[in-house]
Amino acid sequence: MKKIWMIAFAALAFYACSSNSASSDQEEHFEADGWNLYWPDWTLAYSVFQGKIDSTLETMSVNANCLSEHINIKFLDENKEQISGPTDEEHSLGWVVADTSILDIEWEGGWGFHLHGLQEGETTLQLQVKHHDHADVKTPEIKIIVDKKLAAEDCPFQEDEEE
Amino acid sequence: MVKSLLFLGGSFSVLPAEEIILDLGSSTVQAEAAKESRSETLRADDALQNIDLDEEKASTIAETLKNQPNMAIRSMGPAPARPVAKGLSGNHVTVVEDGSVGGDLSATSPDHAIASEALTLQKIRILHGPRVLLYTYSQAGGVIQMDRSEIPFEDDSLHGSIWAYAESGQPGYANAVELNVPVWKGAIHAEISSRKADDLETPRGELKNTDLLNEGGFVAGALKFGNWSLGSSFRWFLTDYGIPGGFIGGHPNGVDIELSKYDFSTVAKYSPSDRQADSLQIRFRANRYHHYEYEAKDYVGAEFASNEEEVRIDKAFGHVGNFFDIHTGAELHTRRLEMGGYVFTPPTNEYDGAAFASASTRIFNRTELSFSGRLGGASFTPKKSVVAKDEDICDRKFLLYAVDVELLQPIGSGKFLIANVYRTTRAPSIEELYNQGPHLAAYTYEKGDKDLDAESGYGGEVEFKAYTLDMEVSASAYGTWFDNYLAPRATGDTNWSQLLPIYQVQGDAALLFGGSVSVKWNPEKGLYGEGSASYVRGYYQNEDWGDMPQIPPFKFYGEVGYRMLGVKVGTFGTYLAKQSHVDKFETETPQSFCWGALLEFKWKWERSEYALILRGENLLDAEIENHLSRLKSVMPEKGRSFSGLLKIAF
Repeated sequence: MKKIWMIAFAALAFYACSSNSASSDQEEHFEADGWNLYWPDWTLAYSVFQGKIDSTLETMSVNANCLSEHINIKFLDENKEQISGPTDEEHSLGWVVADTSILDIEWEGGWGFHLHGLQEGETTLQLQVKHHDHADVKTPEIKIIVDKKLAAEDCPFQEDEEE
Repeated sequence: MVKSLLFLGGSFSVLPAEEIILDLGSSTVQAEAAKESRSETLRADDALQNIDLDEEKASTIAETLKNQPNMAIRSMGPAPARPVAKGLSGNHVTVVEDGSVGGDLSATSPDHAIASEALTLQKIRILHGPRVLLYTYSQAGGVIQMDRSEIPFEDDSLHGSIWAYAESGQPGYANAVELNVPVWKGAIHAEISSRKADDLETPRGELKNTDLLNEGGFVAGALKFGNWSLGSSFRWFLTDYGIPGGFIGGHPNGVDIELSKYDFSTVAKYSPSDRQADSLQIRFRANRYHHYEYEAKDYVGAEFASNEEEVRIDKAFGHVGNFFDIHTGAELHTRRLEMGGYVFTPPTNEYDGAAFASASTRIFNRTELSFSGRLGGASFTPKKSVVAKDEDICDRKFLLYAVDVELLQPIGSGKFLIANVYRTTRAPSIEELYNQGPHLAAYTYEKGDKDLDAESGYGGEVEFKAYTLDMEVSASAYGTWFDNYLAPRATGDTNWSQLLPIYQVQGDAALLFGGSVSVKWNPEKGLYGEGSASYVRGYYQNEDWGDMPQIPPFKFYGEVGYRMLGVKVGTFGTYLAKQSHVDKFETETPQSFCWGALLEFKWKWERSEYALILRGENLLDAEIENHLSRLKSVMPEKGRSFSGLLKIAF
């Protein structure tokens, strides 16, 4: 009986005293205080810095059944200096559309995207720098207007223009 | 308890009951001096145990204590609720389980649960007065002492308990079995418990992602060799619970938390049979705690791994010269805390050491003087990490001391006045020193400060206690002036990457004061009643005496009923006043009233005792907001709920 006691509690003591480590690594995270979104001619489509949205810019819009021109993303550091997005494979563009029946996003990698109008209406878009499953950086909700539906051939921007 | 001691005083010659009898003017006066201070005896009487505890048992320790004076609940969903004492929470309130401090991270964040099962508690006590310093420097907040008597010292009888609990407010059940078996020169004591609860039902509907699943237990044994006893226990607690999301101050999608705690203790105890009040106890404890926060399925958003070891020596003396009820001791404690995932605290080692003592003596005839002190230090050694700037990685060392002096004066038959003054302090926690980043479950951006000084303050409390055969009255007023009160404070700034509000841990001069009154009319049969009222205010000096955040509102709890032959029927209610004394980034909380009823049966059959406790809470389905809950902006507290607890003790 004495031996059973000793063995049982020695085993439990060993188990309880064995080292316990974090199994996931801590990682560096991308930080930015603002976002600049540019049309292909590098005119600003949207800008936000430290929560202040540039209200002089027109609300971004796209027609239903159409893609917008390619929108390029640049980030702003705490001094409002423009910086590029992270280039490693762990970070990617993420987005949340409030009403997915109105708007979708076309993304082909990198720090840019197209708006894809689905039906006429108004919704919001939040862009994110995704890092695994969380967002390192995110925009406020960006208002997007989807104008009336056009036939594909009447859309102002045609996909082959991009090439 | 005091009442029963009054009746039994003649036969318990070593207990302080005779002192109380003396004060009550009884003719039964014992010449032998007390082994325990009267203030300790009176305060021990406030402990919740036996049927009184079973009546209050709920899904968490905090909810179990919610009707006690000066107590409130800090929460972020039902599972991570933590007790708030006298307006103080987090690291200010120390939770001790069977003599050991800590073992989880519940003090560090509102989404972290106390890793302990409430259903199987044997006793729970809100400790204040000089004995607090035997466990912590934080005298102002006090200690929540939970007792399971795991290691069966001096208990070599065959006995056990079975609990079965079910409730509708957070639909679910809990059950547990505890057994003590005499074996060889001692006994084995074991317990196993489980709890499952679905999402919380509120008057406005279900609060999603508030379900929980607990499993816990322990196995312990003790052997006796003459005056020495040797015992060990292995305790585990595993829980999986949800933190709701989609509100200001919460993660958009909610978070699932999985945590485990393993605790191994070995205790050697020396108790000379001829001097029962003298004892020596040496305890070694190892604790392993692991905590995952999942933002999405199978993705670890945050991870915490804590390794603790503790060696503690307690020496008690019945008498030394004119002093009695003497407790001295020392402890060494280490903690290695590692983080993973999206956590912005560097891995840090913490080393603490303390020596402590408390004693009582008689002065001026019937006045009792008790005092205690705790002296030691804490050292923090962070390691380099990608989540911390090099300039923020620096060792910190703190010299800490706290003292408490208390006078007890009998002022009439069964009436006592207790006055207490103290110095309170505590070292900042690892998170308060080194954290620099978002905490997604709490949905805040938390900034520590490596240059923080230790918290310190001075305070006092005056208590009046009066006892008759059927009635107990207690009133207290307390206040603490903190010259450096450590707490995270909303700065009004935002982290622009995450769009999260920034909370900065800082030390401020602050004044906290309050009071409570409690009356119990508790005859063994017939009508009974009790009521308590509590109030606390807190001010920051550097805000032109602006209100401190997270201060509970005025609370009144009342219960009346009738007791006869093992049956008790009663009704109770809690009134929470509107809390309009708020910090600048806080919102007000409206008043509320919660009404309930209970029906209790106790009976004996063969050698077993049975208790069936049926409770209906919030029967009016009132929308009750908890000022200390981050969920109050979206959902009220639990709605109408019915619960039943069956306990069989054999």
